[in-house]
Amino acid sequence: MPSLDMLFLAILQALVLLAVAPLMTGVSRMIRARMHSRRGPGVLQDYRDVIKLLKRQDVAPGSAGVVFQLAPYVILSAMLMLAMALPVFTRQSPVGAVADLITFAYVFALARFFFALSGIDSGSSFAGIGASRELTLGVLVEPTMILSLVVVALVEGSTNLGSISASITGGYLQAPMAILLAMAAFAFTVFIEMGKLPFDMAEAEQELQEGPLTEYSGSSLAVLKLGLGLKKVVLAQFLIGVFLPFGNIEVLTGMTALVAAVVLPLKLLAIFVMAGIIENSMARGRFMLTSHVTWIGFGFAVLAFVFYLTGL
Amino acid sequence: MNITPLGFLLISLTLYLAGAMASLLLPRREQLAIQASGVAGVLGGAAGLLAAWPTLLGGATQLFSADGPFPFAHFVVRLDPLAALMVFVISLLVLVCSLYSLAYVREYAGRGAWAMGIFTNIFVASMVALVVIDNAFYFLIFFEMMSLASYFLVIFDQDEEAVSAGFLYFLIAHAGSVLIMAAFFILYARSGSLDFESFRALHLTGPWASAVFLLAFFGFGAKAGMVPLHSWLPRAHPAAPSHASALMSGVMVKIGVFGIIKVGIDLLGATSSWWGMLVLAIGAVSAVLGVLYALAEKDLKRLLAYSTVENVGIILMGVGAGMIGIASHTPLLAAVGLLAGFYHLLNHAVFKGLLFLGAGSILYRTHTKDMDLLGGLATRMPWTAGAFLVGAMAICALPPLNGFVSEWFTYQALFSMGSASDLAVRLAGPVGMVMLAITGALAAACFVKAYGLSFSGLPRSAHADHAQEAPLPMVLAMLLLALAIVAFGVGAPLVTPVMAGVAASLVQGAVPAVAQGGSVFPGSAVQAVLSTPLLALLLLAVPVVPLLLVAGLKGVRLARRHAGDAWACGYAQEQAMTASSRGFVAQPLEAMFAPLYRLRELLDLVGPSKRGLQWSIDATARLEPVWDAKVVSRVVDLVQWLGGKVQWLQSGDFRIYCLYVVFTLVVLLLVVV
Repeated sequence: MPSLDMLFLAILQALVLLAVAPLMTGVSRMIRARMHSRRGPGVLQDYRDVIKLLKRQDVAPGSAGVVFQLAPYVILSAMLMLAMALPVFTRQSPVGAVADLITFAYVFALARFFFALSGIDSGSSFAGIGASRELTLGVLVEPTMILSLVVVALVEGSTNLGSISASITGGYLQAPMAILLAMAAFAFTVFIEMGKLPFDMAEAEQELQEGPLTEYSGSSLAVLKLGLGLKKVVLAQFLIGVFLPFGNIEVLTGMTALVAAVVLPLKLLAIFVMAGIIENSMARGRFMLTSHVTWIGFGFAVLAFVFYLTGL
Repeated sequence: MNITPLGFLLISLTLYLAGAMASLLLPRREQLAIQASGVAGVLGGAAGLLAAWPTLLGGATQLFSADGPFPFAHFVVRLDPLAALMVFVISLLVLVCSLYSLAYVREYAGRGAWAMGIFTNIFVASMVALVVIDNAFYFLIFFEMMSLASYFLVIFDQDEEAVSAGFLYFLIAHAGSVLIMAAFFILYARSGSLDFESFRALHLTGPWASAVFLLAFFGFGAKAGMVPLHSWLPRAHPAAPSHASALMSGVMVKIGVFGIIKVGIDLLGATSSWWGMLVLAIGAVSAVLGVLYALAEKDLKRLLAYSTVENVGIILMGVGAGMIGIASHTPLLAAVGLLAGFYHLLNHAVFKGLLFLGAGSILYRTHTKDMDLLGGLATRMPWTAGAFLVGAMAICALPPLNGFVSEWFTYQALFSMGSASDLAVRLAGPVGMVMLAITGALAAACFVKAYGLSFSGLPRSAHADHAQEAPLPMVLAMLLLALAIVAFGVGAPLVTPVMAGVAASLVQGAVPAVAQGGSVFPGSAVQAVLSTPLLALLLLAVPVVPLLLVAGLKGVRLARRHAGDAWACGYAQEQAMTASSRGFVAQPLEAMFAPLYRLRELLDLVGPSKRGLQWSIDATARLEPVWDAKVVSRVVDLVQWLGGKVQWLQSGDFRIYCLYVVFTLVVLLLVVV
């Protein structure tokens, strides 16, 4: 059981990440708008959307079942739990007993399972196709994600995210090429999982990966949108926490806490801006050809593993 | 009253046989036969649990020995931790399935439901006897009984598919038996005794040991349904009645895994590292291909059967890692690998049992297994749907349920291989982890499809529309298993040490520390820690945040409306547009993994085995006249020719015959003198 301080830190960082999630997705929207030569709704639009949706009636199709009703809560809860376990301000995870990279992969799978199931549970054809695509993408992304993380874990001798984060500096000295390639591969999967072009376009809901959103409305949609926004932030923080934990608190003093608090939003912002720019300079590809692209990411991960084996 | 574990075991077996006997005696009163067989199964299962319990919790190995009726084979019973684990798993599932059968078998009333009681009970009894017997001769007899009894369950429906599936099963099961017999024969030839104890004392090494291992691996592998010997499984398991399918998929395939462990580790001591690599490789391939083929199915029970191939693969991955650990003298890897395998063996029995019982409930109410004709059952059969969902989540290894814990340990065992000294082992571990990750993602797709098509949306046939909740014993059985899934997942800190004890009994090392407080870890807490109770607690606590948000920012929101058609972006929906087994997930993945799907035709043993049998029938048919012409008729001709020549002796004259007698006497007297 984690100590009370750590539990407090865990809750704090989960709430902070939840609070900045709409801001980050708002930034993404603004970047897209500007690159489309539009003015855009402003970076705070997603806060306004969520608050407004919470006041609207929740309408579910008659064919929808219990899973449809539960899914938004399950997804947001899974993401909040991950946000609690990530190394966010500190190098170590506040709740180390659930901060294992395999546990993380499967909690993401829990969210995906319910997201896809909600699509098919709604009884709507568009949501069903969206669910099918979400699952297909999961199959294509999962191996890359696991392999790139395993390479880092092998270098550090632990699958615990806190331990990896704490000793990653040594890892860069020990096997620089392996870790850099693993980071590239992992960043690639994070990019896909964030629902970005050419794999997805989150604002056009029909048929696409976020198709399961089709039938949601009102408060359910608000919770689901928060959950998906938080998923993006958690993924970005996953990348930062494992590979780039620089500036995080190692020994707690007033100064280090201040640095960590300043560095966190900057790093998140950098990730979201970069993802936004890459996304909007891409064309949309045919979904059935996605597997051709994901091989590249897997290739990076394999290369990282080979470099690890040769000791570079 | 003080009953020993072996006493409970005897009670359990007696109850099963009594159930079979009662069914045999009551063919006229089927209702009574169903109840007798079901109640005997429930009580026998409970007695079996009591028998396994003390040994499983670290008690001493129980031995019993008698001479038996045959001079060459001693009747030796040995309840060691591994056997106790198997007895526990079998008994647990038998208890639940027998409870289920009380209602389910009524479906078969008038079609020989009483006979089903006989075969099910004999099937179960032979499995229990098989895992505790410590003599090769009796082992083979019980193995054969198990195969035969389950064969009759497979062909129970007597339709074309069932008979043909049963035939294939019969063929492959016996091909496996022959390999196992050969393996035991080699051991027997070396040790001079059929007792397993003498095989253990043999410490066989070198090429003979490898030969024995390979024979046993493929022999038992056929029973376990590993690729490439799996093709009977997705046909035979679904053909059986659902509670028997649950037993076959949940328990019988584990007998195959048990056999591999028994021969590879217990009898031969897993001396070569490449054995473990082979087991790991076949396990990984079975896992990926099994779930990939499951995904393409539209028959719910076949989907589940293919997923059994997948899970046997995952178990074998853990066992393979354990064998590598034994061969390379790393007891920790050995213990963690085997622990992972055993844990998944238990878990798979529980959730696959539940899923097959769920499929059985659907079949019971809708009379179809075709997922394209189901749909909308969640509102009509809410308990079944809830239990099935728990099972589906567990089989996808979603935390904090039991499947997750065992797969986590499998990952950790493979991860430990990454720091081995041997390059091949270092390579194999992470490759195995990637295969497991693909399997996990495919399993999620597969079971979203299974649940979604069966229970979600609108019903796609009148049968599905008129379905109602399954009878009480069936629902109760499913809920019991759902409870076990949660217990074995959240209670991992309690279950893991037990599994570690079983694993350590095979490694001959100290039991590694794998749990402390509320957490489990793979031998060393530095490598990884996992606390499923904390995970469950957090997952239950955090929904407070969204609930507060929804309640706090309510404003003037109207109450939830749950009615009307789906919006579907404003298009009017047609039946053809909704999810179907072909379109959902299967189609894009089939396109992306086309080469692996083509492999299925190659791996299918149905065609080749049928052709092989036809060839041998033809060959025999050709051989028969050859034999006649070349040998039999020659002999006949010769005899007739001789007969003709001898005929002149028999002229029919009485006096000549007397002369013969006198002549013979004279000759004899001369010889004697």
